[in-house]
Amino acid sequence: MTEKAIVASNLAYNYGDLMAVDHIDFELGRSEILGFLGPNGAGKTTTVKMLTGQLKPKAGQAKVLGFSVIDNVRKIQGRIGICFEETNLYEQMSARENLNLFAQLFGVDDFDPEQLLDRVGLSGRGREKVQNYSKGMKQRLMVARSILHRPEILFLDEPTDGLDPSSAESIRDVILEERDRGASVFLTTHNMAEADKLSDRVVFLNKGRIVALDTPHNLKQQYGSRVLKAEIVTEDGGLEEREIVLDEEETPELIRQLFADNKVSTVHSEEATLEDIFIEITGRGLSE
Amino acid sequence: MNYRGVFALTRKDFFLYFQNRLFAVVTVIGLLAYLVVYFLLPGGVDQTLEIGFYTPIQLPSLEKVQEEGLRFDSFDSEEELRTAVEEGDYIAGIAFPKDLASSAASGKRPTVTLYFPPDAPDSTKSALQSTVQNWGYSATGKSVAVNFSEETLGRELVTGPIPARDRLRPLFAVFLIMTETLGLASLITEEIETKTLKALLVSPLNTAEIFLAKGITGVGLASIQAVFFMALVGGLGRSPGIVLVSLLIGSAMLTGIAFLIASVSSDTMSVMAWGILALIIMMIPAGGVLFPGASAGWMRVIPSYYLLDSVHIAANFGAGWGDVWPHLIALILSGLIISGAGVSVLERRFQ
Repeated sequence: MTEKAIVASNLAYNYGDLMAVDHIDFELGRSEILGFLGPNGAGKTTTVKMLTGQLKPKAGQAKVLGFSVIDNVRKIQGRIGICFEETNLYEQMSARENLNLFAQLFGVDDFDPEQLLDRVGLSGRGREKVQNYSKGMKQRLMVARSILHRPEILFLDEPTDGLDPSSAESIRDVILEERDRGASVFLTTHNMAEADKLSDRVVFLNKGRIVALDTPHNLKQQYGSRVLKAEIVTEDGGLEEREIVLDEEETPELIRQLFADNKVSTVHSEEATLEDIFIEITGRGLSE
Repeated sequence: MNYRGVFALTRKDFFLYFQNRLFAVVTVIGLLAYLVVYFLLPGGVDQTLEIGFYTPIQLPSLEKVQEEGLRFDSFDSEEELRTAVEEGDYIAGIAFPKDLASSAASGKRPTVTLYFPPDAPDSTKSALQSTVQNWGYSATGKSVAVNFSEETLGRELVTGPIPARDRLRPLFAVFLIMTETLGLASLITEEIETKTLKALLVSPLNTAEIFLAKGITGVGLASIQAVFFMALVGGLGRSPGIVLVSLLIGSAMLTGIAFLIASVSSDTMSVMAWGILALIIMMIPAGGVLFPGASAGWMRVIPSYYLLDSVHIAANFGAGWGDVWPHLIALILSGLIISGAGVSVLERRFQ
């Protein structure tokens, strides 16, 4: 077994004059969830396409499970699972028929479609045609399809985009279960809260370039500032908000004064979100 | 080769084909309609025998020997007569020699040339010799001794006259194949548009295996139905091996056309539009193959000519491998070229 699930070196792809992925380097470890974050058009999907053999890199190299994505695509594709951003199921077939088809394509024998459907919250719905499913149910089925052959790497492209909270939560549970099983997860999303919750490390991608790569905790430490927010009661009975930046030399004294001089109504600490950090680094938001 | 995957994909395509109500209905109705039309057409043939003749000298009117069921037409040259017989416009041709009168007068036996198409039965040949001798008798009042020289024009296939509905069998069979071609093109187009193809392309199946599965689906759908039809209408009674092989190769060629149609289509409607255009082109040689005299040399550049003609002469004339091998070679070559082009163009769309 190779030490790293993915090693990308100087990886690049351009569509004509547009540099979609601009010579990026990163690694994905075994049993690691790597959040690949960036706004639309940042190059996330193009990167996934190169890593999964759908596009041939224009420059650089990437090794997936020790095999080059340029020369050994076939050896890679049987060992990875992909959940696409857009729904691409056979809608005139039932969920079970969809899963059985791909089980046969992947040569999976010990496969129980009902058990898998149960894992993604579709228990008892396996015989229904997919065209009658809601968007959330289809997305859950897509996730089920991507993990039916127990892939060593799971590529998930915006897996919870536009889903109701219940569907999104069940998909997040499956992602964590897969990581615990030993799979590495390459998660592309522009949902920063989700990435923060799931990812061991995150990559910030902007205009095809990696602008930051670290654990969410370290990024917050490095770029964000923690503040204490308090609401104090004024003399006329109103409320006034005060902010004290934490981790400064004078912070303890400022906090002591706050409580000594005022009647404090509420107090809570607040730390920077990944979104704040992304904006701080790139000067643009994820929704742009 | 991932045979299990190819089999699974083929089975899925058959399933989805018949899930599409349009194509399921067209398949069943098409088959039934062609069967009904076949059995509604007359099973016999017009027994009037049309005979052409050429004579360089003035001869007594043929009306004197006109018999029931015979019609004589005169030609200005022996070459025109040959061409007419070769194209099947006449059941036979008679060419009298220039020295007919002088030879007869000097007691020599003049030679009369009789031209026959390949499907002329032996009874026609002997009847025509009697007719010529009767003609000589009615002209001279005595028996005229002549030698006969027989020449078969066109393919050397021996049979009786072919009923119109049997001539149409190859046309119906190819129509059925084309219908399935449209179905396959629609399946592929839908697979591209709904992006399910992307899921297949990142599975352990490679592109060649995906094309193989689609090819098996196309050839299977097309040839099974065409063979079934031919079996029901008695088209496999003579030279069944050749009919089956021709339909199989033809199905493969038309599957290539399905790939081409799918590569330029974005939905079922555009499949229909391109498919009908292809159907019209492919059906052009039908007239020439099935109705002698309507043929033109340029029709042979359309590959379906070789499919239609192979099935026609095998099913209707009992042609052997020696008669059809050039057709089959042409069919295989055109099939390879069309399928190669179809795969190549479609593969680019897969990217």
